Amino acid sequence: MAYNHPSWIRKFETACNGQPLRALRETAMVDFDRLGYPTTADEAWKSVNLSALIKPDFQPAAPVPLSDAELAPFLYPDLRAIRIVFVNGHYAPTPISEAALTIANLADVYDHALVKARLGTLARTANLPFTALNTAFMRDGVFIRVPPNVAVETPVHLLFLTTASEVPTISHPRVLIIAEENSQLALVETHAGIDTGVYFSNAVTEIIARDNASVDHIRLGLQSKEALHIANFQAELGRNSRLTLHDFTLGGAFVRHDISAYLRGEGGEATVNGCYVLNGSQHVDNYTLLEHAEPHCPSHELYKGILGGSARAIFRGKIHVHQKAQHTDAYQQNENILLSDNARVNAKPQLEIYADEVKCSHGATIGQLDENALFYLQARGIAKAEARRLLLRAFAEEVVGRVPLAPVRSHLSDLIDARLAHIHAEDMA
Amino acid sequence: MLEIRNLHAGVEGAKILHGIDLAVNAGETHAIMGPNGSGKSTLAQVLAGHEAYCVTAGEVFYRGEDLLDMAPDERAAQGFFLAFQYPVEIPGVNSAYFLRTALNAIRKAREEDEIDAFDFLSLIRDKLKLVEMDEKFLNRPVNEGFSGGEKKRHEILQMAVLEPRLAILDETDSGLDIDALRVVAHGVNTLHGPDKATIVVTHYQRLLNDIVPDVVHVMLDGRIVQSGDKTLALELEEKGYDWIKEKRG
Repeated sequence: MAYNHPSWIRKFETACNGQPLRALRETAMVDFDRLGYPTTADEAWKSVNLSALIKPDFQPAAPVPLSDAELAPFLYPDLRAIRIVFVNGHYAPTPISEAALTIANLADVYDHALVKARLGTLARTANLPFTALNTAFMRDGVFIRVPPNVAVETPVHLLFLTTASEVPTISHPRVLIIAEENSQLALVETHAGIDTGVYFSNAVTEIIARDNASVDHIRLGLQSKEALHIANFQAELGRNSRLTLHDFTLGGAFVRHDISAYLRGEGGEATVNGCYVLNGSQHVDNYTLLEHAEPHCPSHELYKGILGGSARAIFRGKIHVHQKAQHTDAYQQNENILLSDNARVNAKPQLEIYADEVKCSHGATIGQLDENALFYLQARGIAKAEARRLLLRAFAEEVVGRVPLAPVRSHLSDLIDARLAHIHAEDMA
Repeated sequence: MLEIRNLHAGVEGAKILHGIDLAVNAGETHAIMGPNGSGKSTLAQVLAGHEAYCVTAGEVFYRGEDLLDMAPDERAAQGFFLAFQYPVEIPGVNSAYFLRTALNAIRKAREEDEIDAFDFLSLIRDKLKLVEMDEKFLNRPVNEGFSGGEKKRHEILQMAVLEPRLAILDETDSGLDIDALRVVAHGVNTLHGPDKATIVVTHYQRLLNDIVPDVVHVMLDGRIVQSGDKTLALELEEKGYDWIKEKRG
C-alpha cells in the first residue's frame, strides 16, 4: 500500500507498536495520511502557510524534571488546586489525594471502560488532521471523572509545559473529562513554554457534561515566542447542564484553536469567552462552533483581541441552530483593538439557522484605541502611556472579569497587564 | 493666571481661531459667549491640549509658563481643568477608580503622597454631596449610560476632586434642566476662590445669573470682538448676536 506520508507512518509504527487503543489510533493514522497537512487551499486554513511552520523533523521530546522554582511562575498564587503536571508531553507524577473524583494519567487508564467508550467520540479525526495526529500518537494525558451528584470544591489545574530543546519537538497533550449527572467541576488548563525554542504542542480536550452538570473551564496559552500550538477543544452538554470556557492566548508564534460546544440536551447553557493579546509577528486563529441541537439552550460568546506589531488574528464564530432547536438564544461578539498599522484582524461571524423561534445576534468590531477617551484621561492628569494601558486593561477586563475563579481572575489581570506593558515598550522602541 | 496672545489655531486644515487675546487674573470669572461655530469650543480644546487642533501662531502663558508646550496631563497637573462639553464614555473603567487614578496622578506630579482607597472614599463622599450625586455613580463606568445632566455633574465632581486653579467650563449648561443648572452653578461657585480663576463658555446668559462673571467676552468668527462687564451678557440676551455683527459692520 502506498502512503502519502510514509515518514509519519514509520514514526507511527515505531512509537505506537503495542500501544492500547490500537484500532482508534490506526483509523486516526489512516485519516491523517489521507488528509495530510492543511494547505492554503483549504478554506479553514487559508490564512496561514503551515508548510513554513511545520518542521518535518519534529521529534518527540524527552521528559525533563522540573524544580518547584521552575514550576512556580505557572501556578496561581492563592489558588488551592488539585494539580497535574506534564513536561514535554510526559506525565510528571505528583501525589494526588482527592477522593471526590477520579483523576489519572490517561496512559494508565486506556483500558477504563469510560475511556474506551468515549475517547475520540467528540474530537473526531475524519476531517481534522491534527486531531488525527494527536489521536494516533497520544500517550500521557488527563482523565477526569466526576461521579454523579458530586460538587468538587477544589479546582483542578492541568499544566502542560514545554522546555527548550536542541531540535524542534512535538507533543500531543490529551484530555478527557466526564462530569456525570448533577456534578460540578472547575478546572484550569495551562499550556506554556518555559524557554524559547521551536516546538509544536498539538492538544486535544474533550469534555462531556451530562444532564445538570456544571463545568467551568479556563484555558491559558503562554506558549513561547517560536512555538506552534494547535488545540481542539470539544464539549458536549446534556440537558440543563452548563459549561463556561474562558480562553486566553498570550503567547506562541502560531496558535490555532478549534472550539466547539455541542448543546445536545434541552436547556443546556454554553458560555465561550476569549481574549488574545498579541504583538510581534504572532498569529492566532480562533474557530468556534456553537452547535444548538435541542430547544431552549442559551449560548453566550465574547472574544476580544488586542494586537500590536504585525500580529494577525482570525476569529470565525459559527452558530449552528438545528431545526429542532426552537427558542435558542445565541449571542456572539468579537471586538478588536489594533495598536499598529501593521496588525490585522479578520472577523467572520457565521449564522446557520434552521429553526423559526430563535434569538440570535452577532457583531464584530475592529478599531483603534479611542482617541477621545485617551485625551479625556490625559486632561485629568493621567499620562498618555498610563491612559493607554488603562483603556486596554478595561477592554480586556470585560472578558477577564467573567472568569469564575477569583485567584485565577486576578492573576490573569496581572499577566495581561504585564503583556500590555511589554507591547507598549515595544511600540515605543 | 492665564494670558493668551494672538492665538491662531485650527483643525484638519481649517482655520478657526484668528488671533485671540485674553488675560485672566486670579480671583476672576470670565464668560466667553458667542454663536455656534464662533470658535469657543476650539479655544477650550486648544487650551486643554487636544492633539487634533493645531496652533499656527500666538502664545499662551499659564502662571508664567508656556502652556502650549505642556502635554495635556502636565497641564492638568499644573491645575488646569476643562469641563468637557461632551464628556467621553469610558466602558470598563469605573468612576471611583478613574477619579482616584486622576487625583493620584496629579498628586504625584505635585510630589504629594498618593491617597489610598480608604481616604479617597471619605474625600469623595464630601464631593458627591456638593454636586448632589449618589454614591452608586462610583461603581459605574465613567459616563457610560449617564444622562446629559449626570455627565455634566460628573464633570463638576471631577473638578471638585482635582481642585484646579483655572477651570474652563465648556457649555456645561447645555442640556441641563433648571435644577441641574443650579447644582452645577453652586458647585462652581463653591470651588471658586481668590487664588482661582474660572472661564465659563456658553451660548446663553442663563448660567451667568448664577455664576456671575467679572468680564464678558463675545466671540465671533474666531476673534474676541467685544468685552465688557456682566451687563454685556444681558444686552446680548436681549438683542442677539446680530446686534454685535451689525455694530461691527
